[in-house]
Amino acid sequence: MAEGRDRMVNRLRATRAGEYLDLRRRVRRLEAEVQECRALNIRLAELTDIVTELLLPVAARDEEKLAELLEKYRQSV
Amino acid sequence: MGTQSARNRLGASRALESRPVGFLGRVRAVTVDADGVTARAPRETVMDMLVDGRRVYSFWLHRDGSRVGGRVGGRVGIRWRVPWPRTLQEFLDGTARFTVVVHETGEQVFDDEVTLGPGSGRIEIVNRNGQPLSLDKSWRRVVTFDTRTAQNIEPLMHAIEVVLAALRDAGIEAFLAYGTLLGAVREGKLLGHDSDADLGYVSRHTHPVDVIRESFRLQRALIGLGYRITRYSALAFKVDVDEGDGVVRGLDVFGGFLMDGHLHLMGEIRVPFEESWIFPLGTTTLEGRTFPAPADPDRLLTATYGPWRTPDPAFKFAPPATTVRRLNGWFRGLRVGRARWDRIYSRVLKGMPEPSPFIHWVASIEGALGTYVDVGCGRGADAIFMGERGEPSLGLDFQPQAFAAAERETADNGLVNYLTMNLLEIRQVLSVGAILARRPGRTVITARHLVDTTKKPARDQLWRMSRMMLSGEAGGRLYLEFLSNPGSDGYAGQHRVRRRRPAKIVAELEAAGGTVVHREKLAVSTAPGASKVCRLIVEWRPGHG
Repeated sequence: MAEGRDRMVNRLRATRAGEYLDLRRRVRRLEAEVQECRALNIRLAELTDIVTELLLPVAARDEEKLAELLEKYRQSV
Repeated sequence: MGTQSARNRLGASRALESRPVGFLGRVRAVTVDADGVTARAPRETVMDMLVDGRRVYSFWLHRDGSRVGGRVGGRVGIRWRVPWPRTLQEFLDGTARFTVVVHETGEQVFDDEVTLGPGSGRIEIVNRNGQPLSLDKSWRRVVTFDTRTAQNIEPLMHAIEVVLAALRDAGIEAFLAYGTLLGAVREGKLLGHDSDADLGYVSRHTHPVDVIRESFRLQRALIGLGYRITRYSALAFKVDVDEGDGVVRGLDVFGGFLMDGHLHLMGEIRVPFEESWIFPLGTTTLEGRTFPAPADPDRLLTATYGPWRTPDPAFKFAPPATTVRRLNGWFRGLRVGRARWDRIYSRVLKGMPEPSPFIHWVASIEGALGTYVDVGCGRGADAIFMGERGEPSLGLDFQPQAFAAAERETADNGLVNYLTMNLLEIRQVLSVGAILARRPGRTVITARHLVDTTKKPARDQLWRMSRMMLSGEAGGRLYLEFLSNPGSDGYAGQHRVRRRRPAKIVAELEAAGGTVVHREKLAVSTAPGASKVCRLIVEWRPGHG
């Protein structure tokens, strides 16, 4: 039964209308995926900001300075 | 420009072509009544509405109106009706002289005393301080420049200079942009119908990641100078400037960059552009002062407004979908839901709400904590309650107005504190998380009606922050309460929440390394048709961090 349905779906897809609908669906999905990729820009910038502003100085392991730095960073974002 | 959401509007606006309003373009059969303004005009026309001689708002007859049939003055034909703006309705009770003017020609097409509503007095459109209000292009109420004196404008001019200087110190050559540039170049002054000042800059970087990092750096520099910053997106923010008479006005700073032969400027522009049209910057005059402007302001204004030499106070941005998609994808998504909560907390909030039944339940289980944290604390009553029990308490919310009263009330109480934190800004989440993770003792986090007002990207950050704070040796728990079964009692609307399926939330928690140790559903009241909430207790076992 499921096999019969699959065959039917494939036959419908092969028609011009089916191809058209299929392409529309794929374009929509591609657009969503492009947006997902674009969203990585913010993520990357935020993480880089944290690494350069916080993690590099943190590696110096000065406890007092670290607490001060964390608070100053929080206030600045 | 207005807020980000208004900027994003892809309304059905067409570019206003400058066509003569001749015989064929005549506006006729204009009426003003309880339904709004109705007129016949074969061509799209920008019109101003004056109330007792003062311009209050402008509209496009076709774009903002809808067709109505009917017979006027013995003639049958299509007329267009523009209803009263919702933001104006509360004032429209009484009598006033209404004047409708064709913006382009100044022709008066209606001028008469009209009585609206049952009121008998004069209609006055003013704010609580008695200052005249107008509507901006998105029909939001503003104290616009045309009702303000030179003395009022002076602090803003000063603020523009100060912010431009601060940006310059940070290595950024900013210039007047959008409506402020238009006002300067066309009229040498602030546009009367405008309500804020806009600055722009074009980065020397050419990749979204680099220009975002630069924007973060700028924000730090301005905070260092003592300014309050509200970020609109990863490439635009507002600098609050106190004008001295109690009016706080926002100075918008829009970042831009050149990439692939195009200028990208938040929040609406992506056009083919050459660097030489921006740099080296030139100057323009605004209210008698000299300010930097792009090398070729005509190019930028045309990219922004089209035929900008013809005034159009009802102009709305309608960038192509490809531009909106690019700018949204690269820079936006940090303020989801914020406009709604800004609106809710902009009202006058009376009294402090009672602590929630939920926090009573949490307090019956937990005590002697190192830290209690309420994420999405709203008015902040639960943090005050835990503070009164001797627990060091912290309320976090992305809308600082929400907890302003609680913060004032607890100003002398070192045990209770509030911070602004936006779950969608990872820099904030990680830095607050790191500070709290370092505190000694057991930590309890609560989030009441947070997961049912936020979407997955924000919830993922809540789980991340919880894991940071709870997977240490001292341990702790996350307590959640959210709507699981909406009833007929209006609970969802009152709390502005949407149903969440517990199984879905539990799956998210487990994917983030959490272990649900308690799960229950309970009715919010004994009334028939009462909604049900789900309560979860979650732990992050050491080593699962």
